[in-house]
Amino acid sequence: MNRAIVIGSSADALIAAHLLARAGREVMVVEGGDSSQDEGWVPPQVVRELRLEDFRLHWPEPWLAAPLPDGGRLELWRDMARSVESIRRLSARDAERWPAFCKRMARLARFLEALYAAPPPDPLSLPFALRARRLGRQGLEDLLRILPMPVAELLDDWFESDVLKGALGAAGVLHLMQGPRSSGTAFRLLHHHVGCPPGVFRPPRSNILELLRRLPRVELQHTEVLRVALRAGAVTGVALKDGRSLEASLVVSSADPRRSLLEFVEPGWLDPEFARALRQVRGRGVVARLRLQLDRSPGFGALALAPSLDYLERAYDDAKYGRVSQRPYVEARCDEQHRLDVHIQYAPFGADCSGLADRVIALLSEHWGDAQPSASELLSPRELEQFERWPQGQAHHAELSLDQALWMRPLPELARYRTPIKGLWLCGQGMHPGAGVAGAAGFNCAHEILRG
Amino acid sequence: MPKYDAIIIGGGHNGLVCAAYLARAGKKVLVLERRERVGGAAMTEEVFPGFRFSVFSYVVSLLRPEIIRDLELPRHGLHILPLESTITPLDNGDYLGQWNDHDQNRRELARHSLRDAEAYDEFGLMLHQMARAIKPMLAMAPPDPAALSFGELTAMNRLAEHFRALGAKRFHMLHKLLTMSSADFLDEWFESEVLKATKSASGIIGTLLGPRSPGTAYVLLHHYMGELDGVFRAWGFAKGGNGAVSGAIAGAAQAAGAEIRTGATVAQVLVKGSRAIGVVLEGGEEIRASLVVSGADPRRTFLGLVGEKHLPDEFVESIRRFRFRGASAKVNLALGELPNFTCLPGRGPHLRGAISISPSVEYLERAYDEAKYGEISRRPYMDIVIPSMIDPAMAPPGKHVMSIFVQYAPYHLNGGWTDARREALGDAVVDTLAQYAPNLKGAILHRQVVTPADIERIVGLAEGNIFQGELSLQQMFFLRPAPAWARYRTPLSGLYQCGAGTHPGGGVMGASGRNAAHAILRAG
Repeated sequence: MNRAIVIGSSADALIAAHLLARAGREVMVVEGGDSSQDEGWVPPQVVRELRLEDFRLHWPEPWLAAPLPDGGRLELWRDMARSVESIRRLSARDAERWPAFCKRMARLARFLEALYAAPPPDPLSLPFALRARRLGRQGLEDLLRILPMPVAELLDDWFESDVLKGALGAAGVLHLMQGPRSSGTAFRLLHHHVGCPPGVFRPPRSNILELLRRLPRVELQHTEVLRVALRAGAVTGVALKDGRSLEASLVVSSADPRRSLLEFVEPGWLDPEFARALRQVRGRGVVARLRLQLDRSPGFGALALAPSLDYLERAYDDAKYGRVSQRPYVEARCDEQHRLDVHIQYAPFGADCSGLADRVIALLSEHWGDAQPSASELLSPRELEQFERWPQGQAHHAELSLDQALWMRPLPELARYRTPIKGLWLCGQGMHPGAGVAGAAGFNCAHEILRG
Repeated sequence: MPKYDAIIIGGGHNGLVCAAYLARAGKKVLVLERRERVGGAAMTEEVFPGFRFSVFSYVVSLLRPEIIRDLELPRHGLHILPLESTITPLDNGDYLGQWNDHDQNRRELARHSLRDAEAYDEFGLMLHQMARAIKPMLAMAPPDPAALSFGELTAMNRLAEHFRALGAKRFHMLHKLLTMSSADFLDEWFESEVLKATKSASGIIGTLLGPRSPGTAYVLLHHYMGELDGVFRAWGFAKGGNGAVSGAIAGAAQAAGAEIRTGATVAQVLVKGSRAIGVVLEGGEEIRASLVVSGADPRRTFLGLVGEKHLPDEFVESIRRFRFRGASAKVNLALGELPNFTCLPGRGPHLRGAISISPSVEYLERAYDEAKYGEISRRPYMDIVIPSMIDPAMAPPGKHVMSIFVQYAPYHLNGGWTDARREALGDAVVDTLAQYAPNLKGAILHRQVVTPADIERIVGLAEGNIFQGELSLQQMFFLRPAPAWARYRTPLSGLYQCGAGTHPGGGVMGASGRNAAHAILRAG
């Protein structure tokens, strides 16, 4: 039985499926109920290997607008000179520093990019050391110093404008149950910078899913997996929700690692200590999403309401004690049909989200001129868990913090996509590099499978 | 020919350790101390007649055993008395006790959580292994990862070798300790709130971070690295207070031939070209030496005593962004009678140990929240000891001294530190403590409150940071105090640094002073 079953319909799942199919495996994709993701950088290797010629990454222009306290907006563009122009209105010093900052960050992001298009490195190996040394003295020192830093300290070192620091600092805490003063959030800023042009600090969107769905050779099943069937510690197939069972010698799951191993697999197959460690993987949902239909353009492509680092930190303070932020960090993206996709942080899993939609609409309405919302839908972390199958509503499955990144993601024992169950592999957002990178985990996982 | 081989700026414990090692190697050493007595933040003072206090640092544990051995400190008067317990009083009248006696400790933990009692030994073993994994690094001059010389490459390789030898499991555990918050780390082991809070408290000591801030798990480990008479994580008092620690080290240095001048304030390091050639004292006296070794913190050393104009821009930039942000204060009380704790009334063995005000992780985190926005914690974390219970000579007969370590009292207080704010801090401490020991207010004869601003003013530690710079991951090992200059050398030839602002940092360890001396002696 040479069939491979891929669980999920995310970019990671589909990429793994197509790479396996191209290598001659019969592949069946079972949509696990988890949702599509078109947000996030896609490694160029994926595009090359699957020959996705029409592939496009895109950012709004400006990629971010942030309202200023006395009217007007800070606008950050892909064009460095235009950003500098906009920043100059806030601070001449910050404007002057912007290009150098972007250059320093871009160098580190390129270093991470190389690590992301491969399984996690062995930090104590010679090749890793050599690669790090190629950064040069300043680059290596930046790497060692900046990765563990709080993003607030990094930004305080460089800039003085609160609005600029707030807008950038927000990228350090995206989907994270930490505030900008928490160590390791500077790493997050760099993580979301990977694959972006210098000076852009938000993950792009792409047409990756649309292109993947158009590719031939992979059979899609619109049902859900209930269990992965095992015999003698090895995969024999899957049992589906519609009652059928499919035989397979290989199952690749893009569902979150805990669900894949603790729900799909009968308890008893895993070493208890390993199962305990897996349960302790932190994946706390902190984001609510609001979808809004406007009757006309709001006058921005992307707007962030995070006026300062302290504002973000105070928003986090509420979440620490289990409450929705009184003044949340809000970021809205608008598409051509005037649909707004709004990221609201912090809304911790389990907290009462009633009234949140109205509060956020009131906040945003100050910035969208005469536009009128016609329909709105708020998804709390609990609903995101239900509909998207994100554990506790955490889009990254496992929070991307330094202790759950790279060779630690989501656990050292799983970092190379292989599980203790023979024939069961993981390729979702909870795997390296995951967390808002579309397709790299699927790509790396498929290559690991094929290599073995 | 200069009269001295080396001048040590500052007679704190690290400066003295460095002086002692250099003198023992035959160098002619002069220690210059600004105050009238040596010790820096490790000193004992009779603050109120008959009441002697370890005014700043107040316990001993991290002092490296090799220093105690090499310098024969017991012969010079160091006598350490063990601290045998920690109790954490709770609001409901109960308490958590942690005792050195294994069985007693287990019974007590089981009272709070059977599961935690089971996990405790395993946790202890794990931290012990981690401390052993870090220990060899404490005595190491951190290699420069960006250097290309054969020596540095070999050193980096040795370091990688050391980590590889730990095995994957331990290496990954170390990774977690370096990157996690103490609260998250402890959540993986324990369920009892008060146990987690009391353990995570050692992760916040000396830093402006809360138990939920990543990086605090390492500080927890740092405080676990203590070793007394071969016993890991044992804490104790120096008989006569922490001044006795400095006194013993100074005695060892003098016995080896080092000269110590107190009341001698260094105004400036003399620089000629790119070389330090001596110092100028306040008052104008110039003293020349082949080497100058600064025990002062990096900011004072480089931006104050040396001066930016003698240093490369990039280095100056690194020192400027080196973070201090002192967050700790001390309240020293002279007591007419012992505090009577509601949870454990009367005079019991618990008063011979530490008392921790850390009822829950949330309590600590809320204390941090206030400090993070520049306010004093209204209900602070406290680590309390009563030295007179162990060393009766610290107080008049029948009376007592109480030493209270307090967090958080941020150096950068909104509106700045004033006498009124200092007293407000003292009141917050006494009020909070009186909730657990109601007789306290009536027992207080005298009160001394030491804020971070006071620590800076009196001892000279920048922003009152007790570690001479935050012990955060981005300021540790090869980055302490600045990348490329973590090996005790400085951009000026003839100038070295030996304070806790260098690897491995603070806590009355003496390791920085010893490592600096070795770096100097190796360089010839």
